[in-house]
Amino acid sequence: MRVKLDKKWIARLVQLPESGMGYQRVDLRLQDGRELKDVTVFNAEELDLPDDLARVGIKDIRLHAA
Amino acid sequence: MLRMDPTRSRALLEQPESGMGYQVVEVTMTDFKTRRAVVYNAELLLFDEEPHAILKTANFARLLAEARTSSDEIKSLRVLPRSMAGELVEAVKESPPAYGRGAGPARDATPEKTRAGEVFKRFSAFANDRRILPDGSLRPGTYGTTAKDATNVRTGREAVARYALPDPRPASNRFTIEPREDTMVQSGIVEPAYSQPGGGVEVSFTAGTQPGAVTGRDTIPDE
Repeated sequence: MRVKLDKKWIARLVQLPESGMGYQRVDLRLQDGRELKDVTVFNAEELDLPDDLARVGIKDIRLHAA
Repeated sequence: MLRMDPTRSRALLEQPESGMGYQVVEVTMTDFKTRRAVVYNAELLLFDEEPHAILKTANFARLLAEARTSSDEIKSLRVLPRSMAGELVEAVKESPPAYGRGAGPARDATPEKTRAGEVFKRFSAFANDRRILPDGSLRPGTYGTTAKDATNVRTGREAVARYALPDPRPASNRFTIEPREDTMVQSGIVEPAYSQPGGGVEVSFTAGTQPGAVTGRDTIPDE
């Protein structure tokens, strides 16, 4: 499902370069310790997550190393 | 200027070069007129009367992406023996092409500077594009495309396809970017991804732009 990021993460992502026109590929660390690699963020504010993870908080976001 | 279709490109690679990285050819057009030209890297054809000096300053990959394909315009071509290539060989020596700039993605390209008056476009599904600051500048690392390449895109769906965008919603917001001369960019060709063909020109404004560079936004049809 499509998830809207908190302002804190938006503020960080807009400081980082895009991976292509209008999107960034990122790695996520979730509050429960799980990690997700190569997730796409649109316009530094929306990302697609599996439904079961969408309500788990985000602990860290970094650009995915291509 | 024409981009060689894959069949002609392969045929050219089977024939000798006229000099390092180029072949002087005689082209028979579909209207049966013959013209002389130089083909660079078996990919990009410039006719005799076209300014070959453009290769000194323009990005090869960008020229390639913007050129029309040869398949609709050329009936046949043959590589001229060096003894017949004469003046064109001299023209090429005066205008060495920008080799080493492959047709890969922008992130792999050599950084270069924009020229005065160049115009770029950016397509987005978002009207409130967060890469564009309130002062009309682009943030560092923001992508766009050349205005010329953007003429291939008539709808938001076509933008998704040509720039291989992962967001399937139509990128129907079209921003115009007019950066100052000498703005740093990397440009290349969009690779196929996200089940989209790509193939458009992508330009990354590696250090962003000056304020006021984004001069407008309009919308194009979704479909």
